[in-house]
Amino acid sequence: MRSAGGQVFLWRAGVLVAGLALWEAVARPLNPVLYVAPSRLPAALARVLDVRELPALPGHVWLTVQEIAAAFALAVAAGLWLGFLLGLKPRVGRVYEPLLAALYAIPSVVWYPSLMLFFGLGPASKIAFGFLLGFFPIALAVLAGIRQVPAHLVTVAVSMGARPRTVFWKVALPAMSATLVGGLRAGLALSVVGVLVGEILGARSGLGYVINYAYGLLMTGEYVVLVVLVAAAVLLIDGLAALAEARVRRWAG
Amino acid sequence: MTAAGRPAGFLTVLALQALSVAVVVGAWEAAVRGGLADPLFIPAPSAVARALVATGAEALPRLADTLFKTLLGYALAAGLGIAAGLAIGSRRLVHQVAMPYVVALYGIPKILVLPWIALTFGIGLGTAVLTGALFALFPIVLMIAAAARDVDPTLITVARSMGATRWQMARKVLLPAVLPSALAGMRVGMVFALLGVLLAEMFAGIRGMGFMMQRMALAFRAPELFAATAIVSALSIAVVLGLQHLDRRLGRWR
Repeated sequence: MRSAGGQVFLWRAGVLVAGLALWEAVARPLNPVLYVAPSRLPAALARVLDVRELPALPGHVWLTVQEIAAAFALAVAAGLWLGFLLGLKPRVGRVYEPLLAALYAIPSVVWYPSLMLFFGLGPASKIAFGFLLGFFPIALAVLAGIRQVPAHLVTVAVSMGARPRTVFWKVALPAMSATLVGGLRAGLALSVVGVLVGEILGARSGLGYVINYAYGLLMTGEYVVLVVLVAAAVLLIDGLAALAEARVRRWAG
Repeated sequence: MTAAGRPAGFLTVLALQALSVAVVVGAWEAAVRGGLADPLFIPAPSAVARALVATGAEALPRLADTLFKTLLGYALAAGLGIAAGLAIGSRRLVHQVAMPYVVALYGIPKILVLPWIALTFGIGLGTAVLTGALFALFPIVLMIAAAARDVDPTLITVARSMGATRWQMARKVLLPAVLPSALAGMRVGMVFALLGVLLAEMFAGIRGMGFMMQRMALAFRAPELFAATAIVSALSIAVVLGLQHLDRRLGRWR
């Protein structure tokens, strides 16, 4: 008899194979420009790596990575700053947190044309958009995290003579760390999305630009390869973030 | 805080919020007039207000257009999402097998597929609606699946022992039990559908608010762009608040 876990694993693999087979079966008889069957992807991958028609990939990938890093770093700095500013002063937080939540409810893409107008088509507008998307979940996670810190623990620590620094590192941070790290992970995912959206909506360089370029020239095989690679990279980044999140959760107990 | 003190506190908060917004708008106006900000990039609030009046007639039909596509995309996503969510959440094996895929699809930036959708479905309603549906689908599936999995098992056992068919089970037991989180998922789904539609309009040049905003940005018509941004923002905040209100009323009815 097979174990339950093994059975689930087999089912998962089966779903993946069935999905690919279905994709192949649907795409094969249809227009090959629009419907790229998976069996054509290896050849397209070779063409992407060979780089004759497409812009050289490494430079564009490196630019996108830099944009994401800059956007996320800014989002972390600003999100932590504003989150702690509002969270540690409950009166201020009561006034401004609803405003922050209302801004978060607006579909983020409405800000992009204004950012494009202000920062131009270069990397700055992508960094600004990635920053804006990553900022909100981080700030809101800090606010939610601070609310989770049990007030009596802080009172006990202070009454036993702990200094504010000690209270922060030994009491507050462990209590709020799970929420905080969850917010950082969501912020990273959204910074990545923001940079990619910016590059696809209009850019002269970067990974999104190459994707758009391939699609614009109807090099759809290359386009699908690039999309699959980027999607895999995004999932990998989020997977690493999930591992970090699990470690922090263990540390906080 | 006393019960009597709460409404007064609420009003104070509201007044402070209004005051803060007024201060920001005033400072912004002063900064532009004082030459601290270039009106070519950052128009004064008064210029935005004038543009709002001037472009209102042009913007309203476009706004209605965008909203219509959003509702279509949302309806599509809700129908598919609720069915898939219930199917995934109500059976253990299906949940275990399907969940990694759903989470992965949820995590992949949907923008990557947008060029293909635009190429396949053209510059029109289909592309915008499908993009809206694609953005809204996965949050709805995740919320419904999580809710369906957490349904009290005794409810299911009782219904089954009383001879409920699968259809009756879904309609009479699962659906009412998942309703609260379903509504929360729907609220998120609505915002995502609007986001997808705006994005498709911007990307593929499909009539609607997204296209209008993109065109104004490229033409350096900053006051009109800010006015259009304000209109869409106000609309989406109104939609979210409206759905929240609906949530609370349905909660009371339950």
